[in-house]
Amino acid sequence: MTHESAAPGLSKFDPLPRIIFADDFDAGINGWTELIGNYEDTLDSVLEPYRDHRPPQLSTLSMWDTGSVGSLEGMYALKVATRPKKGHQAVTIKRTTFRRASPIRVETFFTFKPEAAELRLGDQTPRSFGFLFDLQDDTERVMPHIRYLNSLDGELQQKWQFKRERAPFSQIGGSGKTVSHYHLSPEGWEDIPNGGQKLCYNEIATKHNWHYLRLDFDLESMRFLFFQCNDRIFDVTGLDSIRNPAMPNLWCMLNVAFFVEADADRRVFGYLDSVVLSGDF
Amino acid sequence: MRSSYTAVVERNVTVRGVFTSEPYECGWAGEAVVFVRSLAGSLSGTHARVQISPDGMSWCDHGTEFALPAEGTVTACLVTHFGNWLRIAADTGNREATIIVTLQLKE
Repeated sequence: MTHESAAPGLSKFDPLPRIIFADDFDAGINGWTELIGNYEDTLDSVLEPYRDHRPPQLSTLSMWDTGSVGSLEGMYALKVATRPKKGHQAVTIKRTTFRRASPIRVETFFTFKPEAAELRLGDQTPRSFGFLFDLQDDTERVMPHIRYLNSLDGELQQKWQFKRERAPFSQIGGSGKTVSHYHLSPEGWEDIPNGGQKLCYNEIATKHNWHYLRLDFDLESMRFLFFQCNDRIFDVTGLDSIRNPAMPNLWCMLNVAFFVEADADRRVFGYLDSVVLSGDF
Repeated sequence: MRSSYTAVVERNVTVRGVFTSEPYECGWAGEAVVFVRSLAGSLSGTHARVQISPDGMSWCDHGTEFALPAEGTVTACLVTHFGNWLRIAADTGNREATIIVTLQLKE
């Protein structure tokens, strides 16, 4: 039986033979939660940028002028929403582990928009939409990061970037067992070669078009394999990830996260219709 | 099995005076319990109003109010027929506290 005949909703994806998870948000939150920084004894010990990444929401993309959009397929999408504050990031994460160091593939249909609080296009309001893996094998913690830099300080950028620069670790609390590093910091992003892409933003803030995204990554070599958004394929094989020595409690970690960032003092919303993670085993 | 979900819409936030929680979209839920827990400081004698919205931007009172907590305690209220959006609004005057606001949502 093919994946498509077993689950017709999968026919819009190109998964590898093993479906690790296929999350349709019409069926609920599916393990996607808010990212929070590490802490000991008090929440005050969380690194400041990690304190408020916002809980995900099951959204019908409800608009003031035309009502509910719904998701690409069905009623609900997973929504991550920033505060109305320039530079604020909302991050949702799903945490699992891997059983085979194989190639993996994450696919999603996504869109992003500012809150329609002004009757203007608002295309420069979302700073970025992005995603990351957080992985660990026997020797290294590896964190592939990719983002679509839509706008920076009010200027459209419309290009894909990656990150390999390590953020410094901070000791958290007094036990000596907890550290934290802000890997989503604004610093250290680099352009993906030939990574420019104009996405279909549409003509007002309350119209949404869904975009297809696919990233392949090899858990054995810990290298990028393939990256696609809509009709564009980007060569990521020469790119690297954030790498650190293996950490004590993260063996076989396989985390996937999506984030959205505001470039103005307005809320920005990132939406996921569905997410499929598959493996070649 | 009924779906349920707990959303922490404000965490370790210090409030004093006029305060609103971030909007939360939860039209899938038929009922909600709104909790406010004090981590430090007392909001005794003040109240929060549950608010609803047609679009997540324009807000009006739902008609449900509840007392805000004394230091180290938690208060709650029960809400139904809230449509698609929820938040709380309060004016704590000169009282200041660091709080967690939690929505427990159920289908």
